[in-house]
Amino acid sequence: MNILFVAVFAASSAALLFKDAAAFLPALLAGAGKGVALGLQLAAVWAVWLGFLHVAEDAGILRGLSRAVRPLTGRLLRTKNEAALGQAAVNLSANLLGMGGAATPAGTQAMRLLGEEGNAFGEAMLFVIGCAGVQIFPSSVIALRAAAGAADPYDVYLPILLASLCALAVGVSLVLLAYALKKRLRKRSA
Amino acid sequence: MLFALLVPLLFLAVFLAAAVRRVRVYDSFASGVAGVLPLLKSLLPYITAVLILAELFEASGLSALLSRALTPAFNALGIPAELARLVLIKPFSGSGALSVVSDLFAQYGADSYIGRCASVVYAAGETVFYLSAVYFAGRKNKKPVLPVAVAFFANLCAVALGCLFCRIL
Repeated sequence: MNILFVAVFAASSAALLFKDAAAFLPALLAGAGKGVALGLQLAAVWAVWLGFLHVAEDAGILRGLSRAVRPLTGRLLRTKNEAALGQAAVNLSANLLGMGGAATPAGTQAMRLLGEEGNAFGEAMLFVIGCAGVQIFPSSVIALRAAAGAADPYDVYLPILLASLCALAVGVSLVLLAYALKKRLRKRSA
Repeated sequence: MLFALLVPLLFLAVFLAAAVRRVRVYDSFASGVAGVLPLLKSLLPYITAVLILAELFEASGLSALLSRALTPAFNALGIPAELARLVLIKPFSGSGALSVVSDLFAQYGADSYIGRCASVVYAAGETVFYLSAVYFAGRKNKKPVLPVAVAFFANLCAVALGCLFCRIL
């Protein structure tokens, strides 16, 4: 991201020097203004959902959810490592609930534990599932649509869900396929 | 609208369940809201930096140039060329992608086809390269080429299919 930032910044500035040098500072200030406004909008969204999630956590609902998905995660990641499964469950349920902030620490922890037992399959699976971004309720984009004056902020719910489920299906089946092929190749060479 | 009912019912169910389990709902909600401040503090600088960059990119005319260059590839996948900036930044930065989405809403309207596609591209899928840096951090053995390639390809499928779903749903 740092390389990208400098490259795009330098290229844009250079292009602007030839086009309209006086527009440089106004463009920066307009961007900053948009950034601060967006920050305030997001803060309002987060306030509602973080408050809600904290209540759900205190009521034991998040813990219950983690426990409910444990049998599924064990089969999916091909491990019996309880600590790794616990972290993976928190990661998956936080992802489902659209709380990326809570998902990432649990995810890195689960990846480290899976890596320690040499479970590359589990690592790949957990990563690909996280990257599909399936959410029960995509709160930030729907709130952003409402703030932008959409007639029906919810009308993208179905396309979002279907598209991320497709990403999940493609990702999971490719990982399964890749590791099945790897196993066969290893057998043949042995 | 079914989904409009989902949110109030979810709140009601969780708050009532919490109250039954003797959770101090008001205090608990407030301490959850307190989490906004560190989140805002850590993300606002990046959101602002990316939006400044996006504005500069737009003003320089390079954005239009890039969209034009990528139009054939995007057309082949059925993705509107106006989404080029979003599709390019999404794998690297979630806050950057969110900034671009709000920019696209302002430019085309949230209810336009572009606005709807932008919503789907943002929400379906994750920041693959960013997550790979975080998840596989400190790994000494070989780079996770396979998982990252699979995740990237899966997300590209989601983008193309999402734009298709926006057209037919």
